Amino acid sequence: MMPDTNPFLADYLMHDSSIICLVIAKDGTIQYANTFAKALSGKNLQGHALNEFFVDFGVALDLHGFLNASTEKSLVNVSTSADLPETYFFRFYDLGNSILALGESDCHEVGLLRKNFLELNHELNNLTRELHKKNAELRKLNTLKNQFLGIAAHDLRNPIGIIMSYSDFLLEELEGELNDDQKHMLETIESSSEFMLHLLEELLDITAMESGKLRLESQKTDLLGLIRLNANLNGVIAAKKNIAIRVEWFEPIPEIWIDAHKIEQVMNNLISNAVKFSLPGTTVSVNIFLSGDHVTIAIVDQGPGIPAHELDQLFKPFQRTSVRSTGGEKSTGLGLSIVRNIILGHRGKIWVDSKVGVGSTFYFSLPVKA
Amino acid sequence: MITDELYNTYQSNLLSGSRSACTQIVADLIHTDLSIKDLYVHLFQRSMYEMGTLWEQNKISVATEHMCTAITESLINMCYPLIFSAEHCGKKAVITCTPGEYHHIGARMVADHFELHGWDGYFLGANTPTNELIRFIREHQPDLLAISMSVYFNLPNLKTLVDKIQREYPDLTILLGGQGFRWGGTDVFQSGDHIHFITSLDELEQKYLIPKRHDA
Repeated sequence: MMPDTNPFLADYLMHDSSIICLVIAKDGTIQYANTFAKALSGKNLQGHALNEFFVDFGVALDLHGFLNASTEKSLVNVSTSADLPETYFFRFYDLGNSILALGESDCHEVGLLRKNFLELNHELNNLTRELHKKNAELRKLNTLKNQFLGIAAHDLRNPIGIIMSYSDFLLEELEGELNDDQKHMLETIESSSEFMLHLLEELLDITAMESGKLRLESQKTDLLGLIRLNANLNGVIAAKKNIAIRVEWFEPIPEIWIDAHKIEQVMNNLISNAVKFSLPGTTVSVNIFLSGDHVTIAIVDQGPGIPAHELDQLFKPFQRTSVRSTGGEKSTGLGLSIVRNIILGHRGKIWVDSKVGVGSTFYFSLPVKA
Repeated sequence: MITDELYNTYQSNLLSGSRSACTQIVADLIHTDLSIKDLYVHLFQRSMYEMGTLWEQNKISVATEHMCTAITESLINMCYPLIFSAEHCGKKAVITCTPGEYHHIGARMVADHFELHGWDGYFLGANTPTNELIRFIREHQPDLLAISMSVYFNLPNLKTLVDKIQREYPDLTILLGGQGFRWGGTDVFQSGDHIHFITSLDELEQKYLIPKRHDA
């Protein structure tokens, strides 16, 4: 029961105040808890042990210690119905057979916390605003970069195409008249210009895709036929490295709605990559299978494999792994990014499994229904 | 369009601290053809004005007002992808609050409107120290400075600030506005070529942000 006191004050303490008011037996049992304490704890508290309410972090609750320190406020954490302990400053008074405990929150501390919270929140919002502003600026710069790259790549394509054609023409026309050095120089011009042309075409592709200009001209396509044809074409290059390409399917593959030219580009990229990184005498397998409402294609090589920490970067533009091609073939670093964009444009998925020393498998899946 | 019913739902959720419900309402509105200005004026501004009135009438606590402000600020953040996508017009404005003024949402909404119309709207936030503001103006050379005063009692601070800025930058156009001027205070300033009072986002748009057509 509450000790005798002024009835108005007692009524306020018992029912209306935001002060914790407890009467505790000397054995630590709570004999009385006011409305605020009950609401805070979410429990009736009466008859409960004090250490069910006071959060005791391992040290035995020392009521006598509290009483001896009654001239000073004792800092006590109490459990709340919100499962978040709150700190109250308690004073303990000896009533003879029991102890009166009055606890209040530190309004200065609450004020300080609120002030800091407001300042931090304000700072966070200002930074968020700045971040959005910078992001918008970066997006605009990226668009400008894409436009610039697009124009540059487009304008460079013709002259480089001419260099490539003329070097090819000279190699054919002067067959037998060139010494080894001259022939090597012309071959270097031709292969370098061919690589540059390929790079420019991929740059044009990637800038168009980044600008949201990936246009798909979908039509019902014999995917199996497309893959087999592409594997045959790449087989010629693979044969030079003594690498076999094998296409396998395990059930009839239906015709699906795709942009045949773009998926050919995907296949060409993935198969030529597999050949590029395979060791002579190995096999590149292309497996096609149906999985639910998707058709999945797996391109499996027996190359050196890609380290796990490099896999995340694989489909980003201009990212190269530490793995080197087995025949000295060059790479633009754009192919897999283009492949990913094309597959995503078809509402498909692309992923890779790789193990160093065993090889890599690139998977992509396409929806069977458009 | 924001109906009274929708507004009331939003307002009661805001007052009860239901951030997720408010977020959903704003997310839905952003996907309609409602303009950012209408969202700002008819939802954020209206609710914050009402909040201010409730606070003045001791019907809500300071803590509740702060909570509502924090929620509103997070909701304003949702509009930024739309606001900052405007083409830049090459003009710059610095937007700040009177020294001692902690109510900054109005100033932030003004800054966002400058951005919405292609200006660089540098928002310096609440209670900006005068020396910091002067340094910022020197570094960024804005076309215009806008100062918000939400609480009338900050009028002397505003007067001191404006006098100091005018001494440093006599040709700089200064816009003054905010709820603090509901109780007067404009007469303290010598309104002229360089000091102008703005009473609403509409007025700001019409007078400063929408390019004027010059007929032959």
